[in-house]
Amino acid sequence: MDSTDLQIIICGSAGDGTIAAGDILKRAMARAGYKVIAFDLYPAEIRGFGKCVARVRVTTEQVYSLKRRSDVLVSLDDSHAIEHVGEVRDFGAVIFENAPIARLREGRHMSAHVKPGQVPYGLAQREVCERATSSSRSRNIVVLGFLARMYGLPVAAFHEIIADKFKTKAPVVGESNIRAFDAGFEAATAYFKLDDVTLGPPSHVAEGADTVMMTGNGAVVQGCLDAGIGSFFGYPITPATTIMERLAVEMPKAGARLLQTEDEISAIAATIGAGYAGSRAATATSGPGLALMVEMLGLGVMAEVPCVIFVSQRGGPSTGMPTKTEQSDLNLAVFGGAGDAQRIVLAPTNVEGCYRCAGKAFELAEKFQTPVVILLDLYLSNRYETVIFSKDNIFEPNCSKAVEKQDPGQAYQRFQLTDDFVSPRAVPGDVGGMHTVTGLEHNELGRPSDSGEMHTRMSAKRHRKLEGALAHGDLNICKRFGDEGPVDVGILAWGSTFGESLEAMMAAQAEGIRCSAMKVVMLSPLPVDLIAGFLADCKEVLVPELNYEGQLANLVSGQLGRPLSRLNRVTGAPMQVEEILEQVRALAKGRAAA
Amino acid sequence: MNEPLRPVYLEEKLEEIRSDGHLAYRSKSLPTWCPGCGYFSVSEGVTKALKELHIPTKDVVVVSGIGCASRFPFFLEAYGFHTLHGRTLPVATGVKVANDALTVVAVGGDGDGFAIGGGHISHAARRNVDMTYILMDNGIYGLTKGQTSPTSALGFKTSTTPYENRDQPLRPLMMLLSYGASWVAQAYAGHQHHLKDLIAQAITHKGFSYLHVLSPCVTFDKTNMTYANLDLQVRDLPEDHDSGDLMAALTAANAPTPALGLFYREERPTLTEAMDEVMRAAGGEPRGGLARSA
Repeated sequence: MDSTDLQIIICGSAGDGTIAAGDILKRAMARAGYKVIAFDLYPAEIRGFGKCVARVRVTTEQVYSLKRRSDVLVSLDDSHAIEHVGEVRDFGAVIFENAPIARLREGRHMSAHVKPGQVPYGLAQREVCERATSSSRSRNIVVLGFLARMYGLPVAAFHEIIADKFKTKAPVVGESNIRAFDAGFEAATAYFKLDDVTLGPPSHVAEGADTVMMTGNGAVVQGCLDAGIGSFFGYPITPATTIMERLAVEMPKAGARLLQTEDEISAIAATIGAGYAGSRAATATSGPGLALMVEMLGLGVMAEVPCVIFVSQRGGPSTGMPTKTEQSDLNLAVFGGAGDAQRIVLAPTNVEGCYRCAGKAFELAEKFQTPVVILLDLYLSNRYETVIFSKDNIFEPNCSKAVEKQDPGQAYQRFQLTDDFVSPRAVPGDVGGMHTVTGLEHNELGRPSDSGEMHTRMSAKRHRKLEGALAHGDLNICKRFGDEGPVDVGILAWGSTFGESLEAMMAAQAEGIRCSAMKVVMLSPLPVDLIAGFLADCKEVLVPELNYEGQLANLVSGQLGRPLSRLNRVTGAPMQVEEILEQVRALAKGRAAA
Repeated sequence: MNEPLRPVYLEEKLEEIRSDGHLAYRSKSLPTWCPGCGYFSVSEGVTKALKELHIPTKDVVVVSGIGCASRFPFFLEAYGFHTLHGRTLPVATGVKVANDALTVVAVGGDGDGFAIGGGHISHAARRNVDMTYILMDNGIYGLTKGQTSPTSALGFKTSTTPYENRDQPLRPLMMLLSYGASWVAQAYAGHQHHLKDLIAQAITHKGFSYLHVLSPCVTFDKTNMTYANLDLQVRDLPEDHDSGDLMAALTAANAPTPALGLFYREERPTLTEAMDEVMRAAGGEPRGGLARSA
């Protein structure tokens, strides 16, 4: 079998090493040349008995989401894993602790829950581990060895990654974990393989490119660094914190400056101050932080200051569900703030998109002198994907419109009205460019003015300059996939949900439904013409979103006046491919019946 | 203060002002403050101090919030940022972090600084951001026409405290001293030369310098912080005041009548110097000037 599509779930309690095992698994498979997409779920509490789930999908072809049905479930704690047994497909495998049943209360052991058609493997995880390492702490590594033997996973890659993971600890820790892995591998030789889970050879990567596995937040960091970020200000908030943590390690190495501020208001205030002073500046937050920031965002729009705001959405409103994913901050990102304050909003759909949007955000902010919001969500921020980076830096270092030589005695007009509505920009330190910017409405010099005529002209300037952003190079603001021309059902999606939408589209096509999907990356200004062209081709349009109100559907139908079918879920988990597919089928059928 | 009295001739005075050179730091916009407002002294003091220190206008950034005092940047010939109510210090911090070669002066009133912006002062002070914060305290909200402020005196009748203010006023100098500001002084808008000298010292100080300026609002305060009252109340710090002694500074700040002069001063690394240290620890190379990654 040439093409591989293997999904493994590891489930346990906080402290079992569930997430660590998933981490080693995905890194080893990526090291061996497979494409990997992975997403972990963990409780908001650091200690305790909360449930941890690591899902890893290993493939040879590019895929866009996790599967609903997994091939293998590994239980490190049956009390949590039992509820996931239904996710394992027929002839898939369930691996659990083979503890003596007498020690457990009736019905609490995995062996009682494995469904007909699934293949159970009871493994004495604790015992194997204790024999090999005289402790049971590494049983998460034992099961990896077991998996490696059963499915022919690349042992050398696992050894490397395990050694790498423990290299900061005493050498004995790494050695003991390798022994645990080998013991699990050895233990598996005593089992008959009865499932039909298989692994084919890895795919080959083209020369001149780097394959890297990283999270959405990791890609954001890389994008910031490659775009030459100069200063960053942030306040910790799940799920955006890892952006600041990673930048805190990397920025000083590059001679750039980072500060943890006293709150989100000062984070964006300092970002805007730094943007005004000419540095490529950014901050990162989640919905509750963005709610605090919108007043300052309005100042950025009014004073035409470039700055970048990364927003990783989580369940809301208010403090909401800090460790659960949702897409409910679109309205806040696009509309939040006082007055007519249009800004640029981008929502990448996968990890590579996070990298590209992060770097392009600095270009757009500088070119159009405006705040740029990058909308991520917890699922995209935290999930791992293998990404192929070109070795060349794809970002422009300076996109600011320079001030031309001025006549002596002529005052510099910071907000000069020009053909493209973008004014030449001087920053502090530039000779002859002295000016004051303000949150008050102002004239071309930047002096306060509340004349009706000036407000009308400046409002037009601030909005119309953004039209240029729709044509910014090397950035897909909107892209259609699937069948060309008229289709039965079109799926319009944004953010991480687009991955599931694309998988659903391909499944629908396989069932003979004419279907295509469009991702909307630029949410403000909205590429109305491109979306209208797509909608005109669709008999039915489905908008799947992880929010209750249908915020993209409202945005699009508000501008285009076209009724759209909605699919809204707020379970805190990513959208399921099957849910979208079901709706697509129903829409296609309803159409056929009519 | 002790200059001999002699007649002032208009032509002579204008000639003196023109030839002084500090007008280069004045913008073409005329101040919008009421005649007699204490802020004129501060704006005059800043222009003269900048001229004395020979700081080029292109390297000066004046950041303000909202309020009468915050209109300040428009009247200077320099880079200016008139930001939001209470957000002066974080914006100014961002400017300094982005380019540590700039001279950053933050200005604002008592409402902007101690009411809505109160949460930021402690952090700017403890980080020792290398900037000057000139707080013009008139004990009232002037731009919104006469409401009580966090520094309004007990018993002060304003439009929002028609039956007298019952809230204990803040003690800004004691706050700043305990926040860890590395330079703390108080001046009075009625003593212009002294004010100008302190502004020059504050700008020269490496680190966060806080200058509290008692500045009467001639329009909305006829009873409390008036020139007539302050002229009688203010006094210089004792000759033997040790500005290196934090407890002595706190004691002086706790006195019932306002003392003028430098209360406290210390040398310690600034925020951007600390960032340079972080860069060295990380194996990077501090470059100074505009922040960018190599």
